Amino acid sequence: MPFVSRTFIKSGMVYFVLSLVAGLLLEIEQFSFPALMPLFWHMLMLGWITQIIIGVSVWMFPGRNKEEGFWNQKWNWGTFIFLNIGLALRVVAEPMISGQSAEVWKILIVISSVLHMLAGITYLIEIWPRVMSKKAQRKKRKRQRNRS
Amino acid sequence: MIRISLLYLLVGMVSGAIMLVNKAYVIHPSVWALLPIHIEVVIFGWVIQLTLGTAYWMLPRFLEQPQRGNPQLAIGMVVALNLGILVIIADILLSVSWGLGLLGRILELSAVVLFVILHWDRIVSYRASTT
Repeated sequence: MPFVSRTFIKSGMVYFVLSLVAGLLLEIEQFSFPALMPLFWHMLMLGWITQIIIGVSVWMFPGRNKEEGFWNQKWNWGTFIFLNIGLALRVVAEPMISGQSAEVWKILIVISSVLHMLAGITYLIEIWPRVMSKKAQRKKRKRQRNRS
Repeated sequence: MIRISLLYLLVGMVSGAIMLVNKAYVIHPSVWALLPIHIEVVIFGWVIQLTLGTAYWMLPRFLEQPQRGNPQLAIGMVVALNLGILVIIADILLSVSWGLGLLGRILELSAVVLFVILHWDRIVSYRASTT
């Protein structure tokens, strides 16, 4: 399993635990606050489910670049960095957002939104060309052989 | 199905990002109307559709042709699921009582039934028993 996939899956597991902790806190009135509900759902669906899907798909889908290293896996690492920093910023800033909240939290929320979108775009750039039939894979391999 | 699910992921992330920004800086009060669309797109369009598409690709194939079962049923599954999602989104956007929500859920249910019909017999092992 490539390093980037292991990183995605392990980070996903951390969010899985965190999301269930948030779910637990939601049930305890003293610890529950309004922003906890969206955090619970996003840590579960984005932090865990989406992250494990991305980690496994970049590993298992055909046409993987087997070379390790940041530049060889730049789109995957881009997705990982954007998604995790975006989600972490959201987890920190969303509870601080209210009518009178400081400007910095609002700016962090906007940065988080942009990072989420960048994560989606970089993942699409990596995985879109790798969703192909056996026939297309054979054609691609033939083209690569002819080139080399 | 996998490529359509990737497009839904992008739509889900963009709609989510707009709502998140709206929390910090109010863009328009009606932005919150995107929430049920965001949920539908992310759960059915992204996660469920990717799961169905990957299962269709990866589960053990039949030994005889067609190896993934009746292709017309598979096309029916894709069409029903995506039509269902779009009908439900239309129901949310139009907010009219034409029973579009019910129609959308019926289409999604049909897609899932087709998925089960197509894949039930593919959940097998072709390895000889070692017991």
